[in-house]
Amino acid sequence: MSQVTAKQTPFLLKPRVKQTLFLSLLSVFAAIWILPLIWMFSLAFSSNEALQLNTNSLTPIDPTVSNLVGVIQGGLTPRWMLNSVIVTGFTTLFTLVLSAMAGYAFARIPFRGKKIIYPLVLAGLMVPREAMFIPLFLMFAEADYHNTYEALMLPRIAAPLGVFIMTQFMAAIPMEIEEASRVDGASRWRTFWSVMMPMSVPAMTALGIFTYILTWNDFLWPLVSATQREMFTITTGLASLQGNFAQATELGSLMARGVVASLPLLILFFIFQKQLVRGISIGSGGK
Amino acid sequence: MSEKTIFSERMATVPARKGFVKSLKKDLAGWGFIGPFMLIYLVFLVWPILQAIGLGFFKIDLLVIADRTFVGLDNYFRMFWGENMQWTVVNMWEWRLVGLLLLVPVYRAWRKKTLSNLEGGVYAALLVLVFAVLMGLAPGEGGRWNDSLFWLSFGNTVLFVVLSTPVIVGMGLLLAMALNRPGRWTGVLRTVFFAPYVLSVSVLTLIWAFLLNPQLGLIGSFLELIGLEPVSFLTSPTLAMPAIVVATLWWTVGFNVVLYLAGLQDIDKSLYEAAEIDGASYWQRFRDVTWPGLRRTTLLVMVLQIIASFQIFGQVFIMTRGGPNGATRVSIQHIYESAFRDFNLGYASAMSVFLFLVMIVFSVLQFRFSKDET
Repeated sequence: MSQVTAKQTPFLLKPRVKQTLFLSLLSVFAAIWILPLIWMFSLAFSSNEALQLNTNSLTPIDPTVSNLVGVIQGGLTPRWMLNSVIVTGFTTLFTLVLSAMAGYAFARIPFRGKKIIYPLVLAGLMVPREAMFIPLFLMFAEADYHNTYEALMLPRIAAPLGVFIMTQFMAAIPMEIEEASRVDGASRWRTFWSVMMPMSVPAMTALGIFTYILTWNDFLWPLVSATQREMFTITTGLASLQGNFAQATELGSLMARGVVASLPLLILFFIFQKQLVRGISIGSGGK
Repeated sequence: MSEKTIFSERMATVPARKGFVKSLKKDLAGWGFIGPFMLIYLVFLVWPILQAIGLGFFKIDLLVIADRTFVGLDNYFRMFWGENMQWTVVNMWEWRLVGLLLLVPVYRAWRKKTLSNLEGGVYAALLVLVFAVLMGLAPGEGGRWNDSLFWLSFGNTVLFVVLSTPVIVGMGLLLAMALNRPGRWTGVLRTVFFAPYVLSVSVLTLIWAFLLNPQLGLIGSFLELIGLEPVSFLTSPTLAMPAIVVATLWWTVGFNVVLYLAGLQDIDKSLYEAAEIDGASYWQRFRDVTWPGLRRTTLLVMVLQIIASFQIFGQVFIMTRGGPNGATRVSIQHIYESAFRDFNLGYASAMSVFLFLVMIVFSVLQFRFSKDET
């Protein structure tokens, strides 16, 4: 008996030791992976003077919040944040509502023309957006609509990914649930609004968080359309600072702006990581 | 069977008028629900594509956009042609040979009947046309391209695609396999590798431009620590593009990890158990179970990565402006600058159409793979 245990123990231990060793190695690698991010935070909380001498610390040197306070007090960064929040918020909202409506119709209402329209919408999934910014630019220029929130939002809302996701999801909701509501005499709109929409919350959260991140990080279109400094988003604004900021002397202030620009997304990410992962999986056709 | 007949007989007795009203109601509801989205979709997505094709035939000055002159194929002539153009077998023969080798998988897929005659034929014809015929054209002695920057940018874009795709896809696979185990700690590690994905491109460049800076950055001090000279990556013609690939890897690998993790979850666990009973090694298990099981995922990830890489812009535009000496100049940057620095919107539009066509090939492939999945 004792012999058996003696023989078994190393056998049982070995995979566990291996596992621990493996996870430790992976953890070291992960620590290196996250270093650049920690570095940004560390520099943002270091004083600009200290950074003249040393920029290699992973903990703030001469810790201060003056850089962050400076971001909020002066310059256009607060305005850019506001622009980003407005544009991203409304884009996400409109994408969700319009995609859910269209998804409901495509999944559940047998209307004439659907067999032509739906493939047309799906074909839009293949359009590489970045290659199409010149005609879009001309359209908005002719209407004299550049440097407006609408110009920043509308092309993003036109993306058909949401419709695709919502159609898939709503088609999978059991028919009985909808029929029960219809038999009770509810109108289509009521059925959609008070039955189908609440049922679709998981898909809508995934789509919402995915849309929010993509919109917040849009770069090329805001760069082309919003050319007045007051209309920059935080993404293009931060890019504009990188060329002409007095980089060597105000590294801390610059990094503080990076922190401010990424904090809303990082927070959202930590709350909604699961939903974002789901959104990516469904959205790219992986699952 | 009989029930069905009775049902359809009943249907037939429903007064035609009532059926008409009912279906009209459905049409109205359907169109009402899709209407708002379709309006925006048609105006801001479909119409611009159609317009891009048309605009490519015009000369449009950014400063007077209303003033358009029809120039026929001039813009395309400027892109694709030059002085003293000659067709030779040896022009870029290495790349063309690699391209023509793609005929092998097409042929094999056709033999295995996974490709129809038509589709296989189209792919084969495209490959031969592009690699055997068109890529043999180049300016001969004393000649030059009309717009050599167009080809430089496109070449750099292709280089970026070729460098970044295997690295980012391969790393995604490795990380996904490493992270594909239960436990709270692996969850934390997943979060770590995925976190950079949510940063915007300008935060990425903010971090990496300084990280790669020989005087200020961590990488420079690390090199010094192990006794090497700090290198100025972003100003080196040979190292600038690899440095951008590394920054992009850090930024986007999490996306591929997510897709691969989903793919790994779908592999039948009993296959691993069977392999274990057979005494298969790690490598054998990977080769015989994991890799074949991930075939579809890999294809999808590759295609998505290629499409995303073709659209590279922000990283180089902010960090290097296409420098040093054009070594990192990419297609979107060339389009952007042709339009907004050289004021030539028509030409920019023509180049957009070209890039669009190149990418649509890969998009069609993505669509095929993801459609087969469901």
